[in-house]
Amino acid sequence: MIERLILFLLFLLGFWGILAKRNVIKKIISLNLINSAVVILFVLEGSRIGDNVPIMEEGISRVVDPVPQALMLTAIVIGVCVTALSLALAFRLYKATGTFHIDEIREKVGK
Amino acid sequence: MTVILLLLILGLGIYTLFSRDLLHGVIALSALSLLSAMLFYILHAPDVAITEAAVGAGVTTIIFVWIIRHTERKDRC
Amino acid sequence: MLMKRSLILPFFSLFLVAAVTLPVFLDETAWPESSRNYLEAEGVRESGARNLVSAIYLGYRAFDTLGETIVLLVAVTGTIGILKKAGAVLEEQPDFALPGEKRQSNFMRTHLLETVTGKLGPIVLLFGFYVMLYGHLSPGGGFQGGVVVASGIVFLALGNRGDAKSHLVRQDVLGRIEALAFFLLLLVSISGIFTGGGFLDNPLKQYTSMPAAFIVLLNIIIGLKVGAGIGVMCIIMLGKE
Repeated sequence: MIERLILFLLFLLGFWGILAKRNVIKKIISLNLINSAVVILFVLEGSRIGDNVPIMEEGISRVVDPVPQALMLTAIVIGVCVTALSLALAFRLYKATGTFHIDEIREKVGK
Repeated sequence: MTVILLLLILGLGIYTLFSRDLLHGVIALSALSLLSAMLFYILHAPDVAITEAAVGAGVTTIIFVWIIRHTERKDRC
Repeated sequence: MLMKRSLILPFFSLFLVAAVTLPVFLDETAWPESSRNYLEAEGVRESGARNLVSAIYLGYRAFDTLGETIVLLVAVTGTIGILKKAGAVLEEQPDFALPGEKRQSNFMRTHLLETVTGKLGPIVLLFGFYVMLYGHLSPGGGFQGGVVVASGIVFLALGNRGDAKSHLVRQDVLGRIEALAFFLLLLVSISGIFTGGGFLDNPLKQYTSMPAAFIVLLNIIIGLKVGAGIGVMCIIMLGKE
């Protein structure tokens, strides 16, 4: 219960970072925080129903649920792809405008 | 044990967002990834732990340090 | 209350998001156990892998793995395209080269980093291949071994001194490895159709009692693809040619 509340606070922290931080790099870091919070939540919930690693050796029973772990593998790799692509876009923005501050970028791009 | 690790993760997350130096924030993000890899091992999930350790504390830190090195390091905002 | 105008909107939307997601986090229904019971009983026999996580993402949910390789392909292509246009090239800065050395070195890089990573690079690659190949018996598999192989490629790229470069850190070689691995993945996934199954089915299930060879082959292909993809992204960002 308290673990879920801490993960909820981490999720809200990442969401607030995306909305309120002015630096583009801080926004991308907040995306990473949201990703981490969701991954930890799934693995935590899946581990409540058992107490063994899901590798079927001889005489192992009551393993942890392996389905959330398999889903989170894909999620972690996709998270790093999103981070790399968004950092490439931020680099392009810096080369075009010379700053990471979103207000100055908005002035320079002109809208 | 999981509660202690989760509280440390939350503290590192707060420091990452509020630090004035971007490189310090990225190092805190790498430490957050390391702590969550330890948490995955405690929760009986070794596959996720290997992936998170190699991805979070390896590849993500490399690409963040790359962009800080080629642009600017202080958070002027 | 002294509150800045620009902070009202983030806090209000934060409050809305909290109000919507808090019931999800506080729900007390029990996690369903039926999938775990079924996988414990039938997982090893149906897919041939003792590691149940490998049995899931290579057997029961192999479409997710196929989609993830496509996402990786798109991300690598996009990163290469954006960075080539923006001109991320090696800069000429004062370096730490000893007098009389004819090597290109980067700013703030000392000899310590190059020596250590150059020696450790092949060992990390070996460990990555081990994790890839033993994915069906112990913790490991395609994704895990692939990202460790990518770290090994970065080690090799950081650690070359002078002209002793290996072929693995060139962008065209890594790009071709990734494209070849994706093509092999498509071929292998179609091969299940010819023996009476469906797309991404195990073609060895009826012929041998060891359907684990298909799992090992899939692990190798996915590991090569993930390793080459993330490796080429890191190599471009490091600025090597």
